Amino acid sequence: MTPLLEVRQLTKRFPIAGSRSVVQAVNGISFTLAPGETLGLVGESGSGKTTVGRCILGLTDISDGSIAFNGADLSLTRRQKPASLRGQVQIVFQEPADALDPRMRIGAAVEEPLLALGTPRDERRARAAEAVGFVGLDHRVLRLYPAELSAGQQQRVGIARAMITRPKLLVLDEPTSALDPTARADIIELLVRLQKQFGTAYLFISHDLSTVRFISHRVAVMYLGMIVEQGDAAAVFAQPRHPYSVGLLSSVLLPNPHLRRASSISLSGEIPSPINLPSGCYLASRCPFAADACRARVPPAEELGGGHLVHCIRHEDVAQTERTADTFDRFQEEAERILSVGAPAPA
Amino acid sequence: MLNSAATDVSAANGGTEATAAGPPMLAVRGLTVEFAAMAGAAVTAVRDFDLTIQPGEIFGLVGESGAGKTTLARALLRLPPEPGRIAAGEIRLAGRNLMELNETEMQRLRGRDLSMIVPNPRAELNPLLTVGEQIATMTRVHLRVPSREARRMALDMLRAVQIPDPERRMGAFPHEMSGGMAQRIVIAIALICSPKFIVSDDATSGLDVTVQAQILELLRRLVLDRGSAMLFITRDIGITAHFCDRVAVMYDGEVMELAAREDFFFRPRHPYTVMLMAAFSHNQRLRRMWSRPEALPGAAEPAGACRYVARCPLAQDRCRAEHPALRELALGHFARCHFPVRP
Repeated sequence: MTPLLEVRQLTKRFPIAGSRSVVQAVNGISFTLAPGETLGLVGESGSGKTTVGRCILGLTDISDGSIAFNGADLSLTRRQKPASLRGQVQIVFQEPADALDPRMRIGAAVEEPLLALGTPRDERRARAAEAVGFVGLDHRVLRLYPAELSAGQQQRVGIARAMITRPKLLVLDEPTSALDPTARADIIELLVRLQKQFGTAYLFISHDLSTVRFISHRVAVMYLGMIVEQGDAAAVFAQPRHPYSVGLLSSVLLPNPHLRRASSISLSGEIPSPINLPSGCYLASRCPFAADACRARVPPAEELGGGHLVHCIRHEDVAQTERTADTFDRFQEEAERILSVGAPAPA
Repeated sequence: MLNSAATDVSAANGGTEATAAGPPMLAVRGLTVEFAAMAGAAVTAVRDFDLTIQPGEIFGLVGESGAGKTTLARALLRLPPEPGRIAAGEIRLAGRNLMELNETEMQRLRGRDLSMIVPNPRAELNPLLTVGEQIATMTRVHLRVPSREARRMALDMLRAVQIPDPERRMGAFPHEMSGGMAQRIVIAIALICSPKFIVSDDATSGLDVTVQAQILELLRRLVLDRGSAMLFITRDIGITAHFCDRVAVMYDGEVMELAAREDFFFRPRHPYTVMLMAAFSHNQRLRRMWSRPEALPGAAEPAGACRYVARCPLAQDRCRAEHPALRELALGHFARCHFPVRP
């Protein structure tokens, strides 16, 4: 299948005013996204995942590389881009309260993306009512202000606003990290349903790995502006081959005291500054596997089969020390068993 | 995988029975915090709250936003958020009733015997003082040690919280530190006087997962080494599963369920606990089973009902008529429910 989105060697450097230094936010990443597919982009703060999302939307200019969407070049400036692209790529932000104008009624906020498409007023109204319906809200919310809604409801509004143009690609930048667990689960359920209904592709940016595991078909793990590993979500979670992915996954604390990915790899220290990065592998300073060769040059991508790519010259050694662990699947099974006891009779 | 929890605390630490003959480290009885309302009755954020924590114990308190977690945390230091006030109850720290102390005595106590770790460390530190100075001040003020000794203790503490290059970091300012580093400083300030009790309010929420894992490990070791005890308040039920000896879940100002960690996670009894866990599992069938559609605002339950009645799929007439007490259903396992799960 031809990809919907194809990102090649995307690079973004931010110059620092009054200095020759640059922040190397994104350092030559490549990935593709098929129609109707979810790619989970995971990494810690400072890894560059939000910048990638912003580059795809054209909110940030890129320094190098290319972004192709349905064959069209997304890295052009706004004036150069064909009008037919408008509304095709949309975003949902992290803080739903901050992403809505507090003095704008929900109805006006939801229909706003249609203004750029020149949709007539009556149709805008009708589509807004339809859009809030899709996200499970009553049409009466259209007359309310953001402050009158709960955080979960505000995020539904954010999703309705993004979906009103029927985009082919939705960039979701930490859409659930500001929400309570129940609201978070509701939003994830909603996104899964909308994807089935409309076939929208998602770039799901998050640091919440258990949610990413649940919603994503494929995952890409970012560290200091590089995708260090990507592949099928189940494969990467069960058999991570990059030391950073291993460290990240064994830090996940699932709500089950017996289930935690056992690992002999522990990452010391913190993510270094993305200013003036060293040559070689960026993880070398924290990695127990680091050898001289790792510091010499950035490791190239190696294909492990089934689209599983890893940037680590010692991935075979990682494979030897790390057992395959189905921790996340086990968690689901255990939850099913524990939480089915004493269930109320279906209404 | 079942035996892989290499870094987990032993569950044997838990239990409600006193481990020693002495008084519990923290004993809270009937604590109630109210906020006066412009019109009508006061809003009760924490109601009739009981809690007992033993020396060496790490107690996890889970709740969603609005449950009253932060109000409780601040009230334990007798600093409820304005304009809240402690309307009733007693707080005993190693046997001493804090409600009988005057403000001067409380000030002496805070930071020395009773410490708090807050989220958002960079906002909490003084931007104009070096971190070494901020840590040393604690011992100078509370333990009355001379400056030179205070500096030496601060340096030791920086080593204890695993700050790389501690000599140089003594002279660093908070803005020169990453979030994880600043959080370590806040922990150093909270622990340097070896307090009897530490309240951690969402202390790791702003940190990345690999850093969070390091900080939790560090916190647990420091608490246990110093014979303190800790109340660890969080939104993330996953942390409590791996980090705490006992766990309680709070809803609308009340404890709904309280148990030793394994009991809490493997044999949950309160429908709210089960619903929360179902949310974390993202299992649609379980979530449907255990939730009811979001109640409309203003559709308040009658006074004297169970606080969870509107959202409870097991609710019956009795739940609307009678507020349930926190009952011990099995040894050390408490739930506030007339019709608990797994009867």
